[in-house]
Amino acid sequence: MNPRRLLHTTAMRLALRYALFYAVLIAMGLGLLYLSTNNYVDAYIAAGLEQEIRQLSKLDQEQGRQQLKAVIKAQSRVNNKSGRYYLLDEPHSLSKTGNLLGWPPQFKADGKVKNIWIEDNLISGHNDDQDGYWPVIAVTLTDGSRLLVAQGIRQSEDIQEFILATMAAILAVSVLLALIMGWRLGRNMLEHVDRINETAQKVTVGDFSKRIPLSGQDDEFDELSNHLNTMLNRIETLLSGMRQVSDNVAHDLRKPLARMRNRIEITLLENRKGDEYRHAMEETIHDMDELMRTFNALLEIAQAEAGSFRGEWDSVNLTDLLQELSELYLDQAEIQQQTFTSSIEPNLIIDGNRHLLAQTISNLLDNSFKYSKDTGSIHLKAKKIDNLIHVTVCDNGTGIPIEQHEKVLHRFVRLEEARSTSGNGLGLSLVKAVADLHKAQLTFDDNHPGLCVSIIFRL
Amino acid sequence: MHILLIEDDTDAATYLIKGFTESGHVADHAADGETGLHLALTGNYDVLVIDRMLPKRDGLSIIRMLRADDRFTPVLILSALGEVDDRVEGLRAGGDDYLVKPYAFTELLARLDALLRRGQPVHIQNRLKIADLELDLLTHKVTRAGKLIRLQPRELRLLEFLMHHSGQVVTRTMLLEQVWDFHFDPQTNVIDTQISRLRSKIDKGAEKPLLHTIRGVGYKLDESA
Repeated sequence: MNPRRLLHTTAMRLALRYALFYAVLIAMGLGLLYLSTNNYVDAYIAAGLEQEIRQLSKLDQEQGRQQLKAVIKAQSRVNNKSGRYYLLDEPHSLSKTGNLLGWPPQFKADGKVKNIWIEDNLISGHNDDQDGYWPVIAVTLTDGSRLLVAQGIRQSEDIQEFILATMAAILAVSVLLALIMGWRLGRNMLEHVDRINETAQKVTVGDFSKRIPLSGQDDEFDELSNHLNTMLNRIETLLSGMRQVSDNVAHDLRKPLARMRNRIEITLLENRKGDEYRHAMEETIHDMDELMRTFNALLEIAQAEAGSFRGEWDSVNLTDLLQELSELYLDQAEIQQQTFTSSIEPNLIIDGNRHLLAQTISNLLDNSFKYSKDTGSIHLKAKKIDNLIHVTVCDNGTGIPIEQHEKVLHRFVRLEEARSTSGNGLGLSLVKAVADLHKAQLTFDDNHPGLCVSIIFRL
Repeated sequence: MHILLIEDDTDAATYLIKGFTESGHVADHAADGETGLHLALTGNYDVLVIDRMLPKRDGLSIIRMLRADDRFTPVLILSALGEVDDRVEGLRAGGDDYLVKPYAFTELLARLDALLRRGQPVHIQNRLKIADLELDLLTHKVTRAGKLIRLQPRELRLLEFLMHHSGQVVTRTMLLEQVWDFHFDPQTNVIDTQISRLRSKIDKGAEKPLLHTIRGVGYKLDESA
């Protein structure tokens, strides 16, 4: 994987940003810790100094000066691991005892710990201590001598250094962790995105059967991939539908066109009487009307199927619409000696396109009348069940075998038994398209004998 | 009548003009929108037939210009676009009728006749009368030779439409649109059924039938034919 790309991933950028953010946060936290530790160390040292000078004063009082001097000498000699420095200044005998070589200038022996600047030349050579502000305490003893105890700062510096080193280590580790996490996240994301990209490229080139493989982790990438795959499915269906339609259109229109051409050609072969010309032309006009009807039906289907419908969309009073249609078909039934009944509930109102709905119901009724022959009985029913409106057209005609239910929805499909009747095989395609447009469900049921077609609208 | 046809398909226009002339009308032709608008503004036409898609200026804009200029010559829009909202858009722009290509010439002619009738000043009449058939628009009473005929509400509307357009051919689609407000094409002949039902009521027993079927085109309510 290209590291430059990785560096540009959102995850990596986020990781870098978070690493910086956490570094600052941790630095601030550690800084506070450092300061409070320093205070604690200072207090601890001060307490130690106070205790020591108390003990030494007590020693001086209870066991005498000689004993004190002995202890100081001994402490000064112990290669001073505690880092303490001592000085006993006895002005009357002009003697100084201890490992601090001189009294720090202007330092008062008032029994309080202070940070005093200790010059290098005051420090006896056996230690690595350097000049600096040292915590120092001094008291005046009963005979006017002054006793001083100081803490070399090497120890506290060691502590400070240790704390600083620890802080640096924590910082480094956390930044490193953030970077590793970002890199892993970035790589993970890139893998997902690469899978999607790869599929997109193949689809762009024309392989519409490609789908994005899922990781199976059910994460947001799987969700995205699922959605994209659904989109690709829809595109593929639409494309193959379109291909099928144009194939079918070409195939189905060739027949009537050839028929018209032949008729006119043959009519023109010989000199005919005026009536014969008229007859041929009337037949041709009739054929062309059929063709126009087919075209209009195709256009209507295409219009209803287009993802974004551009037509009128209003609230439609289904009750009124169905009653008007029933009125039209009632007379039709009478003349064809078929029975037509309807039961339509009042106040059925849906949102939709009135014209397409009228055409749809009329297609279903036309079919029922057509395929239920003379003694047919056709029933139109509309009722509300919960929040669904069922519009059902039933007949006792030839019906559609269950295995053909899917097939008859395709354009230009006509069943064997229907070949002898007129029609273009587009009626149910339009019904399906309009039902889909209204987000309604289309179902076929056996009417024993005959067929019930229901369109179920959701309110 | 005097017809102006604005249509850029000159082949189609030639046939239409020929058809208009042979049907006894006078027709002019403009092949683009600008010329069409100019003719419509300067000429004195009874009815305009305007294609929607035209070079230089589209059909709807011509209609808007005319209407903005307070000219209310009836306009029939021809369109190759068959979608429902196109029809609505066309009528909203000020068109009076809308016909989608491909259409039958007889259909076009029948609709132009109907439009022209609409363009004439309408006298408020309470009574429509053809021969001995009378329709009282207030009481909705229909009589033939003085004898009362009972009609269903829809039959009444159908008769009223036919009487308003008496002497003219009305097509099946015109009836579906005007009487039922359906813009579709039933495959079975439901309109024929409605007409024959109405005919059985108004022409039954009369010595002279009034409601005639014009083969391949539609129907005509007329006393002379």
